[in-house]
Amino acid sequence: MSGQAQAAILGSPSRARRRRRTAKLAVRLVSYLVVTAGAAVLLVPFFWMVSSSLKELKDVFAYPPAWLPIPPQWHNYLDAWRAVPFGRYLANTIFVTVLGMFAELTSCTLVAYGFARYSFPGRNALFFILLSTMMLPYHVTLIPTYMIWRNLGLLNTFDPLVLPAWTAWGPFYVFLLRQFFLGIPRDLEEAARIDGANVLQTFGHVMLPQIKPAILAVAVFAFRGYWNNFLGPLIYLNDMGKYTLTLGMYLFMGGVNEAPQWHWLMAMSTVLALPMLVTFFLAQRYFIEGISLTGLKG
Amino acid sequence: MDGSIYAGTLARYLLTSGMVALLCLGVYGLLKLLHAREETAAGYALITPWLAGFLVFTAGPILASLGLSFTSYDLFTAPKWVGLENYRWLFTDILDFWPSVKLTLAYAFLSVPLGVVGSLLVALLLSIDVRGIGTYRTVYYLPAVLPEVSVALLWRWIFNSEAGLLNVVCRPLFRLLGLGKPDWFGDPRFVLPAFVIMSIWGIFGINMVVFLAAIKNVPKVLYEAAEIDGAGPLAKFWSVTFPQISPVVLLQVIMGIIGALQIFTVAMFARPTSAAGRFMNQLVYERGFLQLKMGEASAIAWALFIIILGLTLLVFRSSSAWVYYEAEVRK
Repeated sequence: MSGQAQAAILGSPSRARRRRRTAKLAVRLVSYLVVTAGAAVLLVPFFWMVSSSLKELKDVFAYPPAWLPIPPQWHNYLDAWRAVPFGRYLANTIFVTVLGMFAELTSCTLVAYGFARYSFPGRNALFFILLSTMMLPYHVTLIPTYMIWRNLGLLNTFDPLVLPAWTAWGPFYVFLLRQFFLGIPRDLEEAARIDGANVLQTFGHVMLPQIKPAILAVAVFAFRGYWNNFLGPLIYLNDMGKYTLTLGMYLFMGGVNEAPQWHWLMAMSTVLALPMLVTFFLAQRYFIEGISLTGLKG
Repeated sequence: MDGSIYAGTLARYLLTSGMVALLCLGVYGLLKLLHAREETAAGYALITPWLAGFLVFTAGPILASLGLSFTSYDLFTAPKWVGLENYRWLFTDILDFWPSVKLTLAYAFLSVPLGVVGSLLVALLLSIDVRGIGTYRTVYYLPAVLPEVSVALLWRWIFNSEAGLLNVVCRPLFRLLGLGKPDWFGDPRFVLPAFVIMSIWGIFGINMVVFLAAIKNVPKVLYEAAEIDGAGPLAKFWSVTFPQISPVVLLQVIMGIIGALQIFTVAMFARPTSAAGRFMNQLVYERGFLQLKMGEASAIAWALFIIILGLTLLVFRSSSAWVYYEAEVRK
């Protein structure tokens, strides 16, 4: 119903318009308040982590607690970093993350494309199987997979953490990418196919540019996955020199009966989060806006 | 120790990529040789990496772990067949197993609906285009950006019984309720709320961003059409927004259930005492890799698998009633 038509029914045009505008403003104001209150609550734990990381150990337990660390103990970060060989763990984590992500993105995109665009006998059954592997707890395959790597003599190497990435390891990524492929009209590809382009040409020149935002979104997920992987390093890596950051943190946390060094743990938690924050701020535009721009709508 | 710890893995990484590529070409060639249609050959070639990985790293291990769950196995001596012994142990073990099933299920039933509905509401609020909304989106996403390890340690510190922020700030309230200073990760009464609070703070953003993207992806034309039909905001949500984003909602609910039931890393770092409770995956790790009882561990993992399977199938069954795929209708 247009404004004028509604106004004609309700009475004078300006009055109805004013009422509508006031209602809209009120809704907006309430939304703002709710969203702001929620944001404040969400930020407190985050703030507390950084604040605690800059206090002296004795001040961490002070009552009443001080919100701000005065003066900020910047050296906590250096002390914590040096307490355990975190530099080495960072290098190991980067190695695993880069290799894993590259293989994962490549294989998942190709597999998703196959499932989205080619009809072949058994496709639906196979895709159903792929989906059901999403429900599979990682722990069910854990022990036999561990035995495979043990038989290959590759325990205590990074292999179990990265090699399987070539086999489109993440069913969730395949699912997500397939959804994006399905959202793209077939016209373009069919045109390319009529022009005589083969599978890889069609894929590389027609499809890839269109799903770039989706690939970027999956890349962010995969980055998180490899950076935060804890179970894999926990069971496969024995040498302390091969630990990743998460496993290093587990070591750094200390035993059950040790009193945790909370200021150091908060400092390292902040450091561990930094690459995530930076990636997010860099990729945010593509990640949030880009996803909505896929397809021929732009 | 220098670059040498990486060289071997790097070499085998490249080798694996070559092998997978060759396998794809091989499948394509073989199918062509068998006079398969181009469409079939290309399709199978494209999904070959997954198919190979599925056989080696999923199908094989599933069967093997099912087999192992009927044995007693310590990694060093050959597995010994014990029949249903491990499962009988599970059903009678009221000390570890049943409390962990209860805790894991309760955690999923509380955290998933709260997480999905909450993040959908926030996404709707944040989907309006007004000045400064980008900052809000960033703020809401921030907790989800943090690694699980940071999240777990951060909350363990906030939930600290003596000096934790929560107990300090809520001291008057807790005293009024006669709770004293709750020992969040050491008391069976508080461990569940603690994990639910933690999960909602951490998962909010991820869901919210996906919902936000889905909402923004809804064609504007549909809203305009609804407006012409005289639809209010609520009607617009139920007749336009929700059907359009329903596949995403389904995905989020299912991923939420699967993720919540498999909680592990956060629990390992938050470290609830054994008196307070343990999640199922923690039991699998402890039995298997700390006590080397691989048979018992496999049985626990299978119990978890069956629970996940049942719940997910239930949600999938319901999905035909409320999920709408545009592309499939058009076909």
